[in-house]
Amino acid sequence: MPRPSRWMIRCSFVYLFLGILMGAMMLIHKAYFIHSAIWMLLPIHIEVTIFGWIIQLTLGTAYYMLPRFLEGPSRGDSRLAYVMIASLNLGIIFVIADSLLSFALPFDWIGRIFELAAVGLFVKLHWNRITTYRTS
Amino acid sequence: MPFVSRTFVKAGMIYFVLSLIAGLLLEIDAVSLPALMPLFWHMLMVGWITQIIFGVSIWMFPGRNREEGFVNQKWGWLTLILLNSGLVLRLIAEPALGYSEAQIWSVLLVGSAVLQVAGGTTYLIEMWPRIMSKKQQRKKRKRRRES
Repeated sequence: MPRPSRWMIRCSFVYLFLGILMGAMMLIHKAYFIHSAIWMLLPIHIEVTIFGWIIQLTLGTAYYMLPRFLEGPSRGDSRLAYVMIASLNLGIIFVIADSLLSFALPFDWIGRIFELAAVGLFVKLHWNRITTYRTS
Repeated sequence: MPFVSRTFVKAGMIYFVLSLIAGLLLEIDAVSLPALMPLFWHMLMVGWITQIIFGVSIWMFPGRNREEGFVNQKWGWLTLILLNSGLVLRLIAEPALGYSEAQIWSVLLVGSAVLQVAGGTTYLIEMWPRIMSKKQQRKKRKRRRES
């Protein structure tokens, strides 16, 4: 398994654990009152589980499993893959920060732009890997 | 495909159907069931998507123990049992809490949360050491053969 995939999959595991913990806290709060601010966790729970866990795991696994190039670097320019990882995770962190605190800058927008950049890089890295090795 | 993965995928398919039935009920104005919206989302995202990811990753990621049986696949089986029992408890307790204030439903809801956290933890115990490079994989295989 290549290093970018290992990083993405491990990050997704961390987000999975955080997402489950937040979900569990909100579920317990439905049964026994914990704190009135607990529902602030809902948008973070959604961001962490969808972008942090599911999307990140999918991208990391695709980078590992899709057909590789027969010439040159087998999975394309690995520097772009690292930029993709950084961009996706910065995006998630910016969106979460916007849910938690109020900033003068629109952190949710900045976060979504980082996430969009990560997905654009994912498409660039993988477009030509969607292929078959058969010649006929 | 190991037995535990097949069970994950089949359980996931059941939740997929149930979640879409819940989604359909949400569209019918005459039907008003408590907690239907969160149940719809969690059957879809936990019951179906997360469960199919768990099953396929246990099967496809490197470093899998190819021996069948509960002991050999204990973390996978524990994940399946804990996650599904947690989700089933939620499906029962959350709507019930909307109808009755009996203490039992609150206790069951807390139980559901604890079981799902435990299920996530056992999955991570199984999978975290399996995220490895080819070199680490070769070393692990060599160590296995030697022992």
